[in-house]
Amino acid sequence: MRAVKILERVLVTIPVMFGVAIVVFFFVRLTPGDPVDIMLGRGGVVSAREVELLRHQFHLDRPLAVQLWYFVSNAARGDLGYSYVRNKSVVDLLVERLPATIELTVGALLVSLIIALPIGIISAIRQNSLTDRLSMAGAFLGISMPGFWFGIILILVFAVWFKVLPAQGRLSYDVFLQHITGMHVVDSLLTGNMAALKSSLRHLVLPSVTLGAGVAAIIARVLRSSMLEVLRSDYIRVARAKGASEWVVIMKHTLRNALIPTVTVVGLQVGVLLGGNMIVETVFSWPGLGRLVVDAIFNRDFPLIQGAVMVYAFTFVATNLAVDILYTYLNPRITF
Amino acid sequence: MTVNAQTRRPAGWDYALRIRLGLWRRSTAELAVELWQRPVTLIGGVIVLLYIVAAAAAGLITIHDPTQGSLLARFDPPAWEEGGSWRYPLGADDQGRDLLTRIIYGARLSLAVGVLSVAFSVTVGVILGAVAGYYRGWLDEGLSRFADLLLAFPFLVFAIGMMAFLGPGFVNLILALSFKGWVEFFRLVRGEMLGEKVKEYVEAARVSGRSDLAIMASEILPNIVQSVFVLATLRVGHMIIMEASLSFLGLGIQPPDPAWGSMVASGRDYLLTAWWVSTFPGLAILMLVVSINVFGEGLRDILDPRLKIE
Amino acid sequence: MNKMSGWLVARNRWNVLLALMVVGMLLVTSGSPSAISAPAARDTLVAVIARAPATLDPADHRTRESETVIRNMFDGIVTRDTRSGVHMEIAESVTWLDARTLEVKVRPGIKFHDGTPLTADDVVFTFERTIKENAIEYPRPHTSPRKGLVEPLVSIVKRDAMTAVMTFRGAWPSGLQQLVHHQIVSKAYLERVGTRGLVERPMGAGPFKFVSARTGLEEVVMERFDDYYGGSPTIPPVGKACVQRAVFRVIPETSSRIAALLAGEVDIITEVPAELVSRLKAAPGVQVETVPGTRPLWMEMNVKQEPFTDARVRRALNYAIDKDLIIQKVYGGMAKPLGGPLSPLNNFADPTLKPYAYDRDRALALLREAGWTPGPRGILTKDGKPLAFVIDTIDSIRSLAEALSTMFRDIGIDARVRIWEYGVVRPRLLAGERQAYVGDWGDAAFDPVGHMEAKWATYRDAVYGRGNFSGYSNARVDTLIRDGEVEADPARRRAMYNEAQRIIYVEAPAVFLVLPEAVEAASARVQNWKPASDSRVNLHDVCLR
Repeated sequence: MRAVKILERVLVTIPVMFGVAIVVFFFVRLTPGDPVDIMLGRGGVVSAREVELLRHQFHLDRPLAVQLWYFVSNAARGDLGYSYVRNKSVVDLLVERLPATIELTVGALLVSLIIALPIGIISAIRQNSLTDRLSMAGAFLGISMPGFWFGIILILVFAVWFKVLPAQGRLSYDVFLQHITGMHVVDSLLTGNMAALKSSLRHLVLPSVTLGAGVAAIIARVLRSSMLEVLRSDYIRVARAKGASEWVVIMKHTLRNALIPTVTVVGLQVGVLLGGNMIVETVFSWPGLGRLVVDAIFNRDFPLIQGAVMVYAFTFVATNLAVDILYTYLNPRITF
Repeated sequence: MTVNAQTRRPAGWDYALRIRLGLWRRSTAELAVELWQRPVTLIGGVIVLLYIVAAAAAGLITIHDPTQGSLLARFDPPAWEEGGSWRYPLGADDQGRDLLTRIIYGARLSLAVGVLSVAFSVTVGVILGAVAGYYRGWLDEGLSRFADLLLAFPFLVFAIGMMAFLGPGFVNLILALSFKGWVEFFRLVRGEMLGEKVKEYVEAARVSGRSDLAIMASEILPNIVQSVFVLATLRVGHMIIMEASLSFLGLGIQPPDPAWGSMVASGRDYLLTAWWVSTFPGLAILMLVVSINVFGEGLRDILDPRLKIE
Repeated sequence: MNKMSGWLVARNRWNVLLALMVVGMLLVTSGSPSAISAPAARDTLVAVIARAPATLDPADHRTRESETVIRNMFDGIVTRDTRSGVHMEIAESVTWLDARTLEVKVRPGIKFHDGTPLTADDVVFTFERTIKENAIEYPRPHTSPRKGLVEPLVSIVKRDAMTAVMTFRGAWPSGLQQLVHHQIVSKAYLERVGTRGLVERPMGAGPFKFVSARTGLEEVVMERFDDYYGGSPTIPPVGKACVQRAVFRVIPETSSRIAALLAGEVDIITEVPAELVSRLKAAPGVQVETVPGTRPLWMEMNVKQEPFTDARVRRALNYAIDKDLIIQKVYGGMAKPLGGPLSPLNNFADPTLKPYAYDRDRALALLREAGWTPGPRGILTKDGKPLAFVIDTIDSIRSLAEALSTMFRDIGIDARVRIWEYGVVRPRLLAGERQAYVGDWGDAAFDPVGHMEAKWATYRDAVYGRGNFSGYSNARVDTLIRDGEVEADPARRRAMYNEAQRIIYVEAPAVFLVLPEAVEAASARVQNWKPASDSRVNLHDVCLR
């Protein structure tokens, strides 16, 4: 029965994706700003014929309905068109950039969990203690700063003053790494390349902390309040009365129940992380999807924006689907 | 599961009752005493209050014009730095405007941005979330898909598009910020609704013949108001920071109006030469957001007797 | 008791967890500082640009940063020194056979990176690929976006093995300055590997060979080409490149670019904001160089809208701006005042035009003449209406625009600033919907063409007036601009442009502001490096200590 429900949910995501595709198509075209104008920039020699050719090439001289048809029929065949500015297949561009963004997002998620889980748990079991107050205040710090500002400060402190971590990029210039998945950490593990592993991990630290700090605060906070709620419930009292060790009470009974709301929040944060990527990738010169899409938006590179937004949308929808499914396992009382 | 769900008492009943008694019937004097016993919370509250007072009385407590400077004072350092003077206690920015004045005036815009966009988001999100989670069916399906669609849209793509459409400005900024902001509250309330609805106290209320609206408003919502409150306090700070992110991309509050986010963003290039231009507004945000959170957290502990140490 | 011990156990476990976290963090951040501050071997040079190149195909882009990288791997017929002088590069000589025919003699002995000689065939092929419609076949057939840059070129033919002849539609006086921006590709190589092959493994006749590129050209690694012919003989040093390896990296965020330089991770950074110069100069191990830029700035006023319909008001605003103060404060002394519509470095700028002086009284007198007198709150008013307008601008010029609004408010004009995306505000400006716009316009060819017809000719189409945001229209100026484009005689051409500039100066459709210098910075180990006005980053000459 559950399998059927899950399948149903999976199928429901298809119209969402389709909706996103249509919405983004119109959204980018109705947004003021002309790609050819922007491409020709502020300066240089231009010919009228050239402008005409560019418009024709981008199908901008066709009615919107025709453009939509091109987009939909090509997208159905897995062809998202060509970037106006980079003259390259959008699918290729996305595939090239996606691994860097995945690596950063996973890194940030790990950082936030590493920070949030202990803080959330400790704060809950020692509620109102100094540890609780201090660690929660510490967790707030991460969420109380604009990401780009925090990132620049981290760079100044760790790269410029102490020179212990790199300020930008994903890998040192003198490190060679064979390209397999595009995720440097994974690739260096696969090829047993320890120099590259170290280099890529070091490059990953500051951007992951910048991106993960804000999310950590949210997770820690939700985890703490959910833990508190569960800890006060009678069945925990019953478990304690039965003589279960505190570790079992906390880790098994309390944490498990407290994880339900936490998991939802983590799922939602994937969207925040993906959004935050755009800024963190800019600050740390991280060659991921976020950088690509910011450039694409300002260039009004329609095919590229469409493709990138669909990738974001897909990732987001997939994560949330996974969260929903996980939810039913964590809390069997919920029917789908 | 070692602990049967049945052993869980319908905690909601007495909790809902207590929160109504505890939350709304507690006298101000009692509250003050409780607050006094929690210095950290108190300090947080006082700081938040100070911000509000500063925002309200900006014109009275400052001597400079927040928007008009003099290039001659460009990047004058804070008073205690070499070359600084008490004329510009926290230094001057790239237009030679007094930073302290701008930060105080900035409290107005930034608080307004944060509070208004969250208030808007909460209102829309809670109503739709409660309805969707309670009734399920096509309404829930439709709203959830729409929410999915919005959430699936990367915020900045969305915001940049909105700003290009509407043009940058205060109201448009609030709209852009809350257009997606409500979804989070929607999902939270809907999720909690799903969880609460199957609990016994709701069943009991239903059996006793109370209307859906009454059950939602007086039985379930008090139970989840705390989660909403937690999220909302976090969101006020988040919105102030989102304004900064939009400013990072040149889409925030327009110059010369002062808002902390845009001050931090436009000052970031000078971090190495005139660190104060970006740092003080950044600290203003930091202090406010931490204070809001500390205060909110403490207040919740006071108002919710169940969470006190036994 | 049980409960207590449980707590203890739990607490210990938490502590272990915390300790593990700390150890993990230490491990990651450990390592001697030198491990990262010396990322590049002694003979590897890392140069930083702010935006990624779109492609490494010389014929398939329209972005400055693409050209910056490409010109280190590909050479053109002619090139430019760090200022505005044109020099022979792969051409031994170029000769105008008549007003519309240019003979290009290729220098013998030039080799492509694959060892094949560069001949007239390659020159012909390169330009045909640029001007023929749909000549680029990958990723789908399309026309070179650089076609417009050689608009007047009708045909190019091979005369003999080392000579090509270009025929133009008419006289093209700015031709040589424009030809700098086209680099020669190998015909044989392209016919063998196609555009796709060229994009994946660029191959030219420039001082560096392509080695590898990481994700989306965010990093391009090049190696010295040992058989390089030496480059332009009139721009020393002549010979192969000095460094063994050169890397281009992209760091879009200004503060991150500077941090990377200060952290010792990179050697040369471009696009340094002027206000950071003093700080960088003081930093140990950093050198700063400036060069006059190619992006002059104006505040254009909508001449079709009150209050700017009155030329006296427009002139008054010119007198109201203290350009020297702006140069000193906003640009740290690194800018030149504009004496009219053209950049003072433009080869056809009229040197007799002097910048409008800062004269507050004169400004107020002119405004009074035009009917604007001080009203309530010190704001100038006419017929009960305050003198107020919004200055539109783009984010990168925010600081200047704010400084202007401050100065205007200072004399009683209620001026506010509004930041836009260029692509959004441009159509509104052209439609005459806005009031004032502070903006720049590139002038990299140092010739009025590409500039005069875009900024100061009547707005007509995608070429004439395409950057005319004041709505300015003067028939005489239009004629002069049109004639100047095809006038082969330099003296007559100069006279035409001088007349046009003088008319624009007096009618003042814009507040003529400044020409900022371009600032670049480098680590102390970099030698013999000079930024170029056209923002080329020429790594050929640079050495490492």
